[in-house]
Amino acid sequence: MSVRIRFFARFRELADPEIVTEVREGTSITALIYAVTENNQAARDAIFDQEGGFRRYVILMQNGARIETTRAGETMVADGDEIAIFPPVAGG
Amino acid sequence: MISIQREDVDISRLVQEAKHPGAGAILVFDGIVRNDDITEMELEAYEGVALRELEHIAMEASAQHGLLSVDIVHRIGRLRVGENILVIVVSAAHRKEAYDGSRFILEAIKEKVPIWKKELRTGGDRWVAGESKNH
Repeated sequence: MSVRIRFFARFRELADPEIVTEVREGTSITALIYAVTENNQAARDAIFDQEGGFRRYVILMQNGARIETTRAGETMVADGDEIAIFPPVAGG
Repeated sequence: MISIQREDVDISRLVQEAKHPGAGAILVFDGIVRNDDITEMELEAYEGVALRELEHIAMEASAQHGLLSVDIVHRIGRLRVGENILVIVVSAAHRKEAYDGSRFILEAIKEKVPIWKKELRTGGDRWVAGESKNH
């Protein structure tokens, strides 16, 4: 199945604006983002801590809905999903 | 009018359109690019989600503060010092509702709406730190 990952702001500069990739059923959001940053140490270091958990400032969305980073490991992606990852917002 | 756009906004037109029969106060917030030794500011949005959030905030503000109208225009792209970034125009029967509603909208945008600002400087660019909480 196919999912789209979108990076914004500082994460976009470190990774690509968006990546479309094929994943196996039963892939969690955490596993997905960990996999797509496999060959990008700068992006991985910005997003994950040394234990492989999301850094505290990371914000995740699945199809426009916020997903707690602490739940991302047990939240599976589905075909056609759009996963967004970004730092704290700073509009206004 | 709730919009995320690159082009500038006609504030006087928004004010004119906010003059509802029951309105006794129209409040305009105009956030502009401040000269903090920057050359330009670059704004980026997760557009579909950001627009939906702005619409939700406008509805919430109207319901909580009795606003008669709400306009929110947030610009993206590269902006020079002095250019409009965020324009909020609200109308209400009385000043208190207008001030409270406008403030509510501004604070909610800063906390919830996926938009980011980057200061472009000759000595190196810098992302503006966000005020949102990841919880």
